[in-house]
Amino acid sequence: MTAENRIDPKLVEEFLKFGRNLAEAPKIVPAPDEINLEVSPHEVAYTEDKVRLLHYKPLTTKQSRTPLIIAYAIINRYHILDIHPKKSWVRNLLNQGIDVYMIDWGTPTNLDKYLDLDDYVNVYLDNCVDFVRDENDVDQVSLQGYCTGGTISTAYCALHPEKIRNFVATAPVIDGWRDTTVVSNLAKHIDVDKMVDTIGNMPPEFMYYCFSILKPFEQGIEKYANFFRNIENQSFVDNFLRVEKWLCDTPPIPGALFKQWIKDIYQDNLLIQNKMYVGGKHVSLENIKMPIFTQVAVGDHLVSPECSMPLHYAVRSEDKTLRVYPTGHVGMIASSLSQTKVLPELGQWLKEHS
Amino acid sequence: MKYRRTIYCDLLSYNYVENDLQKDPAEFYKHLSLFWTDLIYLMSSKPQALTSVGPMRNFATNAKKIATELLEANDDLVEFNTRLTEYYQQLADTWAEAQKKVTAKIPKVPADQEQFEAYKRIWIDMFDNDFTELFDSKKFGDNYGKLVASELELSKHWEQVVNVMLQSANLPNKKEIDEVYKELHSLRKRVSKLESQLKTAKPRNITNDSRE
Repeated sequence: MTAENRIDPKLVEEFLKFGRNLAEAPKIVPAPDEINLEVSPHEVAYTEDKVRLLHYKPLTTKQSRTPLIIAYAIINRYHILDIHPKKSWVRNLLNQGIDVYMIDWGTPTNLDKYLDLDDYVNVYLDNCVDFVRDENDVDQVSLQGYCTGGTISTAYCALHPEKIRNFVATAPVIDGWRDTTVVSNLAKHIDVDKMVDTIGNMPPEFMYYCFSILKPFEQGIEKYANFFRNIENQSFVDNFLRVEKWLCDTPPIPGALFKQWIKDIYQDNLLIQNKMYVGGKHVSLENIKMPIFTQVAVGDHLVSPECSMPLHYAVRSEDKTLRVYPTGHVGMIASSLSQTKVLPELGQWLKEHS
Repeated sequence: MKYRRTIYCDLLSYNYVENDLQKDPAEFYKHLSLFWTDLIYLMSSKPQALTSVGPMRNFATNAKKIATELLEANDDLVEFNTRLTEYYQQLADTWAEAQKKVTAKIPKVPADQEQFEAYKRIWIDMFDNDFTELFDSKKFGDNYGKLVASELELSKHWEQVVNVMLQSANLPNKKEIDEVYKELHSLRKRVSKLESQLKTAKPRNITNDSRE
């Protein structure tokens, strides 16, 4: 008996099918450029420089009194929070009667290379908060920060606590020394002064390199093999392409912001030690006394739970909730689990605190 | 100074040239090049003054900078190549180690669908684990940091060379443009601060239109 005869015909058929799928894919699957990532209807309520504040149209007749502003991260774009009608973070909150605003930080150019944390916290975010307070005639708003947006929001809540009624921190980057991810290892070893002085803004390609070394074989090979195995599953393909398009679209990060970010959070770890300054103002987590809802994911390989959770223990809030979910960084905000578990809990909490 | 003296002697005696060339060829050619660049500049500066408004005058004045940058870039290129080699060595070593583990766990070639799926799962898990361990290690971080730093040094040299070209064409260089960006940023901040002060001076409930 030869070696060829021992191979299972089903295995051969599987390989042949995979080959056929590769050839058929362009006929069945839309090109990523043809996919529109904007799902829920919204209007641009406020703009400043390249920053836009989006206001989503309500989906319920009655809405909660306190509007929610979502400060998205500085890496990738806000679309992930409204990536697919069935997995949309924004749409879920709208359906629960929350009035949702979202900050789109825009695409910085060389002209913006000197924008720093002070601009993001004390100018852009502060002006967005003031706009929403004025538009809704309320003294305080709810603020949610995701990932690096969680850090910006944390600094904001510490510096402007009087304007924030509730704070939602979703996978925030807080304690850089406890972060066990490979991203944090790279961040700790780069000469960020030299980097920013030489190239100015942090190019998207640098971020793509960082993404590429996160689970390189699962994400770099198996994920795409799985895609070609499932090209006939329209729902799977649609969701896959949306997330892929989002992943491959990250704006540059302003040089001064990136420098302060890497040094203060990952290298010197100033925020959790209450030693950080933004625009000359001391950021003390002890100033955060409003109700806080912290969400972390056990399988987060971009911001490890050990990095996010210290926020829960460092703030002075009496009303504080910590939720740990069995998912990853993106899974927490754009998955079936987020729709069935994460968002219902958050919506309930927001309504109770509105 | 040592080499400068030697090069003068070179004109008189070929033996000096040969000695220095054998000792450190790179250093020898570096100084030889700089010597002639300097000397040609000194010899030609007066006639060149005639064309002081043209691009060549500017270019000739700064030509030495280009030579210096290119020579120094060689040292950084060596460092970059060393770090890049180490980078790929780390990847290759990790690959070999992970493959050994996979082979030890599943020595037989998968023959059916189930075995193939199991093999693939183990292969991906082991490779992801080993590579994540590498990317998370101090040795990888150290080398990666130095690799990026050497690449940035090369960028700086290139930037300096381009600056000379820009200067010869009377165009602003990176430093000058950076000054403009900084000034604009500062102005934007001042405007924003003034707008904020104006806003607090007014009563709340400002309409959307008045903000824009």
